[in-house]
Amino acid sequence: MKKHLMSVAAFAVLSLLPQAVSAQVATATPGKAVSMVLLPKFLGILPFDQAHQGAEEAAKELKNPTALQFLGPTPQNSVAGQIEIVTNAATQGVKAIMLSNNSGDQIVPAAKAAQAKGAKMVTWDSPIPSSDGEDVFVAQVDFGDIGKVMADMSLNIIGADGGKFAILSASPDASNQNAWIAAMKTALKDPKYAKLNLVDTVYGNDESEKSYTQAQALVDKYPDLKLIMAPTSVGIVAAAKAMQDEKLCDKVKISGLGLPSEMLAYTKNGCAPQFALWSFIDLGYLAYYTSYMLATDAMKAAEGVKFKAGRMGEYTITKDPTRAKGLRILMGPFTVYNKDNVEAAAK
Amino acid sequence: MNPAALLKRWETLLLAVLIAIVAINVLESRYYLSVGNFINLFQLSIEKSLVALAMALVIIGGDIDLSVASVMGLAACVMAWLFQQGAPLPLAILLALGAGVLAGLNNAFWIAYVGLPSLAVTLAGLIGYRGVARILVEDRAIGGFPLWFNTLGQQALVGPLTAAIVIFLFFFVVFVIVLHGSAFGRLVYVIGSNIQAARYSGVRIGLVKTALFVGSAGVAALAGILYAARLGSVRGDTADGFELDIITTVLLGGVSIFGGKGNLVGVGLSLLVILNLRNGMGLADITGNTQNYVIGGLLILSVLIPNMSLEIRNKWRGRET
Repeated sequence: MKKHLMSVAAFAVLSLLPQAVSAQVATATPGKAVSMVLLPKFLGILPFDQAHQGAEEAAKELKNPTALQFLGPTPQNSVAGQIEIVTNAATQGVKAIMLSNNSGDQIVPAAKAAQAKGAKMVTWDSPIPSSDGEDVFVAQVDFGDIGKVMADMSLNIIGADGGKFAILSASPDASNQNAWIAAMKTALKDPKYAKLNLVDTVYGNDESEKSYTQAQALVDKYPDLKLIMAPTSVGIVAAAKAMQDEKLCDKVKISGLGLPSEMLAYTKNGCAPQFALWSFIDLGYLAYYTSYMLATDAMKAAEGVKFKAGRMGEYTITKDPTRAKGLRILMGPFTVYNKDNVEAAAK
Repeated sequence: MNPAALLKRWETLLLAVLIAIVAINVLESRYYLSVGNFINLFQLSIEKSLVALAMALVIIGGDIDLSVASVMGLAACVMAWLFQQGAPLPLAILLALGAGVLAGLNNAFWIAYVGLPSLAVTLAGLIGYRGVARILVEDRAIGGFPLWFNTLGQQALVGPLTAAIVIFLFFFVVFVIVLHGSAFGRLVYVIGSNIQAARYSGVRIGLVKTALFVGSAGVAALAGILYAARLGSVRGDTADGFELDIITTVLLGGVSIFGGKGNLVGVGLSLLVILNLRNGMGLADITGNTQNYVIGGLLILSVLIPNMSLEIRNKWRGRET
């Protein structure tokens, strides 16, 4: 009897939630008023403006009558500034805070206080390391994918006959870049890349001038070098400029991770035929969808939850394999830019 | 003091500005007038406020201490590093305060006994102490402190007041007594306004300056530890760049950068002006860049207005005669 009652109750609950049963994919209900803050590491650089653009696009699509606040600290005051903005947002009763964390775990007390006041804490671009005070992290791409994409671009540019190439990275202790280079080295073990010969890794410290001279030094040291791979948006531009100035673009190509608007000229003139990046516009768009849906209770931040994020399609919340605990939504994929699509992306 | 003289005082102007800011905040944001917001307003900058008190004394004494933020970082990193090496936290805190005092003694030695300008010595300190902090903690964060430590930094201790706010109020009273009610305080003013005269009248300048710089670094070390408790973890860049905010507050409080002039009532009012202004702008969703413009503009006005009003007064007098 008891069992029977239970199944009746279960049936009643299920019939109340038809879409949850049939599709298992949560969707957003547009038009709800949700106060939301988009908080970048700091203001004044292009990727964060692009993320803002993407978030505004999602806000318009979801017809949120409450305007999105794009608030950020100055680069010099990033940590204290982020903490202050999160605290003030909690005071104002903001329903969702989208944070590109630049404060490590120092943001945790403020983030927890904001959660206690009912705000959803969604990180994007850069998570809270301990994941305390965070509902979910919207990650741009998987580190392993970055290595694979860099290996593929190298093969495309150097060609099946193979040849020498070198890496121009940021600083020797930049954790992002080091992880990506390690991922690339793992990817290179595949036999199809056997003829690619990685001869050196140098560091330009993400300074334009140092990256420029390091690129020059590489071609002096290896006269038959075919490619410089720079997994940093500063290094890739500097290396491309160095090759262009030395009139070496026919011999040595540049590739790596860069911003279309900064790489446009070099891609068009053949110095950097291919490079990759994830779209910060999409990242802002996805972060907004995620936060809006969490704040309107359209879904819960729990492992296995599937949801539909507008034009970007379906995503699943999973455990974050890169941290001890915490949840992740993996955006992906990369966009590889070449002379055909770089112009549109540069706008 | 007659009413006219009171009107001309810097503190009166600050009070008027403060009342205006509070009034605007009350009208503009319904979140402003709440106990929680007022605690946040103080708590978000409490460490800087604490250091500003000691900085006021140093500047009135005719010197400057640019190394305070680096000493904050140094103390926090020494504490975190020792804790990570297995030292009990209370011992680590004591040793971190000791490191701060040592930094202050080092500053004082070069300034008071070798005779180098404090601007140069403490600039070297700003770079050097930060360097030590970064070497200790490297490119990582140290956290996981005992619960009592984080609770101390993040929860209310007395009524709604946090430990840091209580400590600030205590130091405010102590510094007011030291500066405005003791022989030592008078010596600080004498040295700040005319160091030659002080020397000829036999003031032990070296001792006074040593006390000021050790005091400044000691308070900064305490502030660094409070900051670590509030944030729950420490990095090499903890409190990086705070010195400019601290000096801004002191100068806006009417303390002369040339020494010898100013008082802690002005500094206290200046703190209230800046904190309420920042809070109001934050609640109005004004971003960091704009906030800096406004506070920078306020600082320029704080230099311009007294000079301009003097000029206008002189012209007025010229017309009368």
